[in-house]
Amino acid sequence: MPGHIVRATVPITFAYKNRVGHALEQYINGLKEKKILGVKCPACKKVYVPPRTVCSKCHKPIDQMVEVGQEGVLKNFTTAHVNIVNGEITGVQQPYIIGLIKLPGASSLISGIIKTPSVHDVKTGMKVKAVWKETTQGDYNDLAYFEPA
Amino acid sequence: MNERVAVVGYKQTKHTFDSPVARERMIYELVKSLFKDLGITRDDIDTFIFASNDFTDGRTISEVYTVPRIGSFMKDETKVEADGLSAALYAYMRILSGLYETALVIGFSMAGSEFRVPLTQAYSLDPVYERPRGIINYYSTSALQASAYMKKYKFTEEDLARLTVKNLQNANNNPYAARKEPTASVEDVLNSKPLYLPIRQAHVSAYADGACAVILSSKKAAKKFTDKPVWIDGVGHFMDTYYIGDRDLLAMEHLSAAAKKAYKMAGIKNPKKEIDLAELHTNFASEEPVFAEAMGLFKPGSGKDVVKNGESGIDGAMPVNPSGGPIGANPINATGLIRLAEASEQLRKEAGKNKVKGAKTAVVHAQDGPGAQLNTVFVVRR
Ligand SMILES: [Zn+2]
Repeated sequence: MPGHIVRATVPITFAYKNRVGHALEQYINGLKEKKILGVKCPACKKVYVPPRTVCSKCHKPIDQMVEVGQEGVLKNFTTAHVNIVNGEITGVQQPYIIGLIKLPGASSLISGIIKTPSVHDVKTGMKVKAVWKETTQGDYNDLAYFEPA
Repeated sequence: MNERVAVVGYKQTKHTFDSPVARERMIYELVKSLFKDLGITRDDIDTFIFASNDFTDGRTISEVYTVPRIGSFMKDETKVEADGLSAALYAYMRILSGLYETALVIGFSMAGSEFRVPLTQAYSLDPVYERPRGIINYYSTSALQASAYMKKYKFTEEDLARLTVKNLQNANNNPYAARKEPTASVEDVLNSKPLYLPIRQAHVSAYADGACAVILSSKKAAKKFTDKPVWIDGVGHFMDTYYIGDRDLLAMEHLSAAAKKAYKMAGIKNPKKEIDLAELHTNFASEEPVFAEAMGLFKPGSGKDVVKNGESGIDGAMPVNPSGGPIGANPINATGLIRLAEASEQLRKEAGKNKVKGAKTAVVHAQDGPGAQLNTVFVVRR
């Protein structure tokens, strides 16, 4: 019948319990102690945050954990007016900032939410510091957000 | 061993936001119609390569359902879980090997109507860090890239809106494009819904239902298909790390490396002079100046002047996406392959209203992953 499309709705819901691996495991344990950990490549001396087990450039294993600073510089940001959850793009009541931050001692940037009284107060180059959950429990949300230092 | 490989046939569907037919029929009709145009049958094709994705197809080993439709039953067949230009790269190498003389490449998806694009994108994000944290996705990554470019080079929201309108106008003259907004103005783009600023809804490519099929052949076999072969003279294919914070979102060294490799193979020393047009796979309008500059088509940071002077327009010095690009239609998996079809059409002087005069050499680009983590570049010539 032209003009009439019959559809089969096929929901796919699956949850995995992926091992985060050795490096991220230590990172998450560090968060519980309110520490931000990275790894230092023995060859190029780059410090990667979050940590990983192999340096892409040098193709060498990395296992030297180092703690990096918690007060850094905001290098880049976007003002989010939406969230994407389960593939749905939905508007948010209050726009918020997603930033890339250079922490002292780290070679890579770390992404995080930047909280300021107004999103218009945010500028690249500003100093920001990590804000922790009062009670940390060993997950990514322990490092709650960054705020102006 | 074969020494040269050509595009000898191509066809794309009229892309839509809600296809009147199922994907199986869509690709069957596309391939049959391409075969008819060329006066061939499936017996003339040695190897078949799909570009598809289990997540966009909603089933695993998804080509078991599509093999009968493209004529690859009991033939040499494989699938690439990436954009169609990656599949074309496989086809190109298979023919170079001398084991095959001809290949059919097909990319398709129902990104307009059958699934939520950001959900399939989310499944390609790092499952143990980015996905559980939920702030880095394809949109926010491209927004960070756009923001870096705009701040560094004083490229304004208005410049970005003008660029978007340029592509919308090109798309409006493209008979295959899904998105038709002939009256869209700079104001309309500036006022469209904010997503992750500076990215607004109007900048987002048109995720659509559609497909594209391309036939490649050796020099020896090309005559059977066409007297207007389009030669693939250079290729490059590089991937960056998946950690956004490790990447230089502006320099895009991996894209730059892919382009340089393709230019070197094709003997191109000065891409600005020797290339006549570019077809780029941009998921967001803001990617165009970043990609074009990384590929050496314009001076770094010149995006503002390029927009102002119309240099990337159809009559400009370096037309970029005369087809309108993915702003007009982005049927995931087919999008980069469409760039190859569009460029071939231009070089064969078969383009309609969007014809670039005197075009002999084109550069074609495709991407996969957040913020174009993977890039493929082809140089093609007539
Ligand atoms: Zn290293």
